Amino acid sequence: MIAENLEKQPLIRVDKLVKYFKISGKGMLHAVDEVSFNVFEGETLGLVGESGCGKSTVGNVIMRLTPHTGGDLYLEEDHVFNASKEKSNTFFKKMQIIFQDPYSSLNPRKTVRKILAEAYEVQKLCPKNEIDGRILELCDTVGISRELLDYYPHELDGGTRQVVGIARALSLNPKFIVCDEPVSSLDVSVQAKIINLLMDLQKKYGLTYLFISHDLSVVRHISNRIAVMYLGKIVEIANTDLIFNNCLHPYTIALLSAIPKVDVDKKTERIILKGDVPSPINPKPGCRFAKRCWMAREICQTESPELKEVEPMHQVACHFAAESRKLSESAETMTISDF
Amino acid sequence: MVGAVTALIIILLSLFSPVIVKYNPITNSLRERLLPPEYFARGLNGHIFGTDDLGRDIFSRLLLGSRYSLFIAASVVSLSALIGTILGAISGYFGGIVDILIMRFCEIMMAIPNLVLAIAVMAILGPNIFNLIIVLVITSWVQYCKLTRNNVMVVRNVEFVKASQALGASKWHIMFSQIFPNVTTQLIILISQQFGWTILTEASLSFLSLGVQPPIPSWGNMIADGRNYLITHPWMVFAPGIALMITVLAFNFLGDGLRDVLDPKRI
Repeated sequence: MIAENLEKQPLIRVDKLVKYFKISGKGMLHAVDEVSFNVFEGETLGLVGESGCGKSTVGNVIMRLTPHTGGDLYLEEDHVFNASKEKSNTFFKKMQIIFQDPYSSLNPRKTVRKILAEAYEVQKLCPKNEIDGRILELCDTVGISRELLDYYPHELDGGTRQVVGIARALSLNPKFIVCDEPVSSLDVSVQAKIINLLMDLQKKYGLTYLFISHDLSVVRHISNRIAVMYLGKIVEIANTDLIFNNCLHPYTIALLSAIPKVDVDKKTERIILKGDVPSPINPKPGCRFAKRCWMAREICQTESPELKEVEPMHQVACHFAAESRKLSESAETMTISDF
Repeated sequence: MVGAVTALIIILLSLFSPVIVKYNPITNSLRERLLPPEYFARGLNGHIFGTDDLGRDIFSRLLLGSRYSLFIAASVVSLSALIGTILGAISGYFGGIVDILIMRFCEIMMAIPNLVLAIAVMAILGPNIFNLIIVLVITSWVQYCKLTRNNVMVVRNVEFVKASQALGASKWHIMFSQIFPNVTTQLIILISQQFGWTILTEASLSFLSLGVQPPIPSWGNMIADGRNYLITHPWMVFAPGIALMITVLAFNFLGDGLRDVLDPKRI
């Protein structure tokens, strides 16, 4: 897998993507700050981080739903931002998005049939009389019963609504799909169904996913690689195995220690981070995590660490990536073993 | 339901008034002045609601007056809904400087009391039906503009609009096919409530003799005519007054009823 990726050209290349929001009277909110990563064809890249760290903004900016402040995005080495109008339209067909909330992502005034027909009407891919046939095909692909086509979204349950959302994203046969927390508002039993559907579709059509989530166990299940975000910056990218067994950034270490474990015999050490997440409005120079990091030294306050490769397919943005493992063991920890 | 039926009856009555009416509502007949209501003692042939101080049949004047009232209200409501909705949609969807300009203009309009503005404009332009419609449009489009703008702003940021954007839909497509259907319900409710308000304002202006001019009957100037006879011959005021009340109520009820009917979540 690793060797394979090294040779492959990335399908999506995000280069120093920047997104600032203007907060009137307060300054700039640095939602996404010089984020770079690649997504290779056929893989799933998980993007994790706590609420408000900018992971959904990354998805929205990639989909061009929010204008970017700086940086570049390439799809198969084609410039996506600032593309000509015709070119721009082809990107709509190649990139699609699945939203978090299946209650607000479907128009309450349209039937499922009309919702699915929209892509074909907008892109004029086929004559009007063929649209119905396409929709039926789509239903079979994702496994929606054909009787549901004339229902309104509020008549369906959350899982089915999300499947409709997936069907809509598939309607233009995209190569790349941004999954913006597609299961976090669903029941656990339904989550599994949706995750399995996404994985089946990936296998069948060779899709590439950017899977945004805060649920580490879901991400672990579906992703080939994982990128960890903290306050608008990517702090670590590595293969899923490496992240879970040999993560090097102190934030990742703390994040993983927060996963609840079923095994009560095993002693789990949980790292409790001190303090609150600093405000992303006009952030200070230096490492974003320095305030809460147990390894922080002087250099962390002044210099922002670059994302550097520490081993093949493993990048970390920390001045002390090499030492972090050892230090985390001596950090202030809390033992939770007696439930 | 009650509102819809009553509103329908009122509209039908005014549409078919030439067939129903047996007396000329404009010619005076001093021999028959101030006759009390006969109700239905002689069927539709008598003076059902009596006659006024010039001997004109009040029932006939009521029906003819309703035609003017409804015509004025319908034109005012449709014109101001059209103007208000377009401006509100532009303001809400595009935002920025356009939004600020339109909203400030709306606020200026709202700061002026409607009736005072109407009186001022009518006094300058001179009272006739055409000017009356213009005045009422000027004072009522702001409501539609504000409502549409607020709703569009809410709907614009919902995820299904983003989904449509991600499919490559144009701004116009998103506006008309995604956002607008989610705004119409409240618009229709507002329209039917504004219908009542417009009839009432038209009556007020006519009462002040700034609206429909005599000898053309209107509910407002009929009440004004009857004012002097309120103690001795109250039917002159009661007939148009009650008609006005029922009509306004009917359209308000219609608005409430429509809200329930148009909600897609009703089962």
